[in-house]
Amino acid sequence: MSPPVLTIDDVSVRFGGILALNSVSITVGAGAIHAIIGPNGAGKSTLINTITGIYAPSSGRIEFLGRRIDGRPAQEIARRGIGRTFQNTELFGELTAIENVMVGLSRHINYGITEGALHFGRFARSEMRARNDAMAYLAFVELADEAQSIAANLPFGKQRRLELARALATQPRLLLLDEPAAGLRPAEIAGLNEILLGLRTQQKLTIVVIDHVMALVMAISDRISVLDFGNKIAEGTPDEVRASPEVVKAYFGEGRAYAGGV
Amino acid sequence: MLLVQIIMSALTNGAIYGLIALGFVLIYKGTGVVNFGYGDQVTAGAYFALITMTFFGMQYWPAVIAAVLISVLLGMLIYGLFMWPLRNQSLLARIIATLAYGTALRELLRAYMGPNAWPFPFLLSPGAVSVGGILVVPANLAIVAAALLVLSLLYLFMERTFMGKAILATCDNRLGASLIGVRVSNVFLSIWILASVLATIAGILVAPLLTLSPDMGLIGIKGFTAAVLGGFTSLPGAVVGGLVLGLLEALAGTYVSSAFKDVFSYGILFAIILVRPQGLLGPLLVKKV
Amino acid sequence: MIVRLAFSAIAVGLFLLAPHALRDYQLFQLCLIAATAVIVLGLVVVTGMAGQISLAQSAFVALGSYSSAILADKCHIPLWAGIPVSAVVAAFVGFALGQATLRVAGHYLALATLAFTAIVQLILIHADHLTGGAAGMPVPGFAIGSLVLSKAGQLYYVVVPAVAAVFVMVANLLRSRFGRMLAAIRQSETAAASVGIDVLRCKAMAFAASAFLGALGGGLLAPLTSYLDPAQFGIIQAISLLAMAVIGGLRSPVGAVLGSAIFILLPDVLQHFQTYLGLVFALLLCVSIIVRPDGLASLRVNPGRSR
Repeated sequence: MSPPVLTIDDVSVRFGGILALNSVSITVGAGAIHAIIGPNGAGKSTLINTITGIYAPSSGRIEFLGRRIDGRPAQEIARRGIGRTFQNTELFGELTAIENVMVGLSRHINYGITEGALHFGRFARSEMRARNDAMAYLAFVELADEAQSIAANLPFGKQRRLELARALATQPRLLLLDEPAAGLRPAEIAGLNEILLGLRTQQKLTIVVIDHVMALVMAISDRISVLDFGNKIAEGTPDEVRASPEVVKAYFGEGRAYAGGV
Repeated sequence: MLLVQIIMSALTNGAIYGLIALGFVLIYKGTGVVNFGYGDQVTAGAYFALITMTFFGMQYWPAVIAAVLISVLLGMLIYGLFMWPLRNQSLLARIIATLAYGTALRELLRAYMGPNAWPFPFLLSPGAVSVGGILVVPANLAIVAAALLVLSLLYLFMERTFMGKAILATCDNRLGASLIGVRVSNVFLSIWILASVLATIAGILVAPLLTLSPDMGLIGIKGFTAAVLGGFTSLPGAVVGGLVLGLLEALAGTYVSSAFKDVFSYGILFAIILVRPQGLLGPLLVKKV
Repeated sequence: MIVRLAFSAIAVGLFLLAPHALRDYQLFQLCLIAATAVIVLGLVVVTGMAGQISLAQSAFVALGSYSSAILADKCHIPLWAGIPVSAVVAAFVGFALGQATLRVAGHYLALATLAFTAIVQLILIHADHLTGGAAGMPVPGFAIGSLVLSKAGQLYYVVVPAVAAVFVMVANLLRSRFGRMLAAIRQSETAAASVGIDVLRCKAMAFAASAFLGALGGGLLAPLTSYLDPAQFGIIQAISLLAMAVIGGLRSPVGAVLGSAIFILLPDVLQHFQTYLGLVFALLLCVSIIVRPDGLASLRVNPGRSR
């Protein structure tokens, strides 16, 4: 068994008087698709934001590939190999789709300021390679024909895919997706599932998905952790979680029978 | 007794800074915009009074009332032309907009009233009067009294009346307010009008001390500093910040040099912003993603 | 490629022709526009591209003007060396200022840069022995060896090519990965950080660039105006510079030239209506920000799609 890619160890996050996450511990194995679900306000987005460095945990540790990342700045965590998408798409709205992806590639483009100012040396070749790589990522999420479209003008589903392409361009080892299926039609969800499964199989990417949409979560997850009011209340395979009484109670309240299939 | 004299002049300046800071904080608390044109609104308010006195022959108090009425119109104009159309634009655009109309006001006054200073009448006598061995200037006392009065009225209005609380609630939660039928734009308009009136009152009180010229608006920066010192989110804080700034300035001016006084207050502004950015901006910086 | 060569040839041709076609006063204005355009270009980079408001630009212009003049006057370092040196020093100051203030955003940044300009101006006014104080100081002539360039017609051959070269380099940078990073930061700092961009450092670099360009422009302006008066380097001037950028178009280098040209040529356009000069310019600013709040030539961004 290879060591876990991400270890969230007894993490609590407090905002003033509000305890958003309470001693949450989750381990994500290499190459797994790990889902985190829970009712609204359960702390799912807080968790993802804490992992990626937007918030620092009030207590506990987070380890990524064997090194601590809690409390580190967001861009450092991104450079260590964690890519993410956002619940409210944070695209660079005025840039084109291909430019959005090229920003994701920024760190892998290797010319300096002098070459940038005078457009000589490695400039042309690096820009060309960056452009080609960006097109490849766009093609992967089936947005190749929208390369020159302004990101803000794209329909919602395509914006989601663009954000994914941009995150992939950073060549992450771990991909965090914050409600990737929200607002997607069933056909689009099926497409997304395929892409994520493909990423896991071909690129050996580890994926953590936060979502409500069971059509995605149940279909592709290896393991599911369930949060409610900042606590982890259940964890296991999709079948185990589906049958768990705590989960039923969290989603449906006391005394309601759960008839399977959400 | 030197210390007492220092405190007297510090109080006066502090009250002025506090009054101006009140207007900033009101707009900021209310609409989230820091109004870089506010200093120019203060100047304009004083000019309104001056114009009605000089060119229409009004007495002091009728001129003040006229100026206040004009500033209501000005507030509406600013809101309607700049702040409402740009309400969804970036913060940068809105900051530039406040700089823009402030500049326009300033240049309008420079073009039509000339770049030179105009004399402006005091509210009360500017002559010093000896009270128990201390030299007291009634005009300055009037400024302090006016600042405190305005603060109390504003505070009572915002925190104790239903309408005031409704305004604060709307500013806190636009969506919620509009969901229950509150016309958010009307609330914001009222705030801009209120602040505009405040600016005029501050201008009329300040103008005799500073001499009235189109560039008098630079006093606005002292108002900023006062507001930042006071925390930028509380009305009483604005006045306290003003008084603190006035005191610090007076001390620096007396014990170092009067040239240093200005460097000192800009330095305070600079230092505060650097040293406590998280503290003052706490809720603002945490963006929901 | 051919098009680019053709444009360059035409530009060089016009450059060489101008001194024969224009009067000295017009050449002087051309040089003023060029030097001012470099200063405003600094704002295009830091405010238009990186989205950080800067009211510190007149302070950097002052740094550039006064430093090069003082170096020439007191240390006998000729302007052609003193100006670039001052610009580089200003860049470091700008970087430090950026690192210190760019943790705070928006309004607070505007205030901090405002305070910086005010403090610098006060220092200029009070450091009599160095800067001549409130009375100002004369600027030594632009000397190259034993040749002293004093007329606009002569300075033209230094100012315009220098400015043109700077513009080409900055335009190139804006179309490279550096420009993309700045644009990304402007639109979403969170997303930029999530792809590994060091947001604070990039913003500080943009600030440093604006300081460099401001000081460079200031250094070029100094021999043109031949006298430095601290009253020219205050908050009102800082706002004017920003206004030029906004009026010309915040997002493009061409906007810097356009805004500067409007500012410099307006007095001539207004002829007998000089008293309305400031007002006309202010109204242009108001119209620009209302009609083009995002600084682009296109119409307003759809409401709700802000930032």
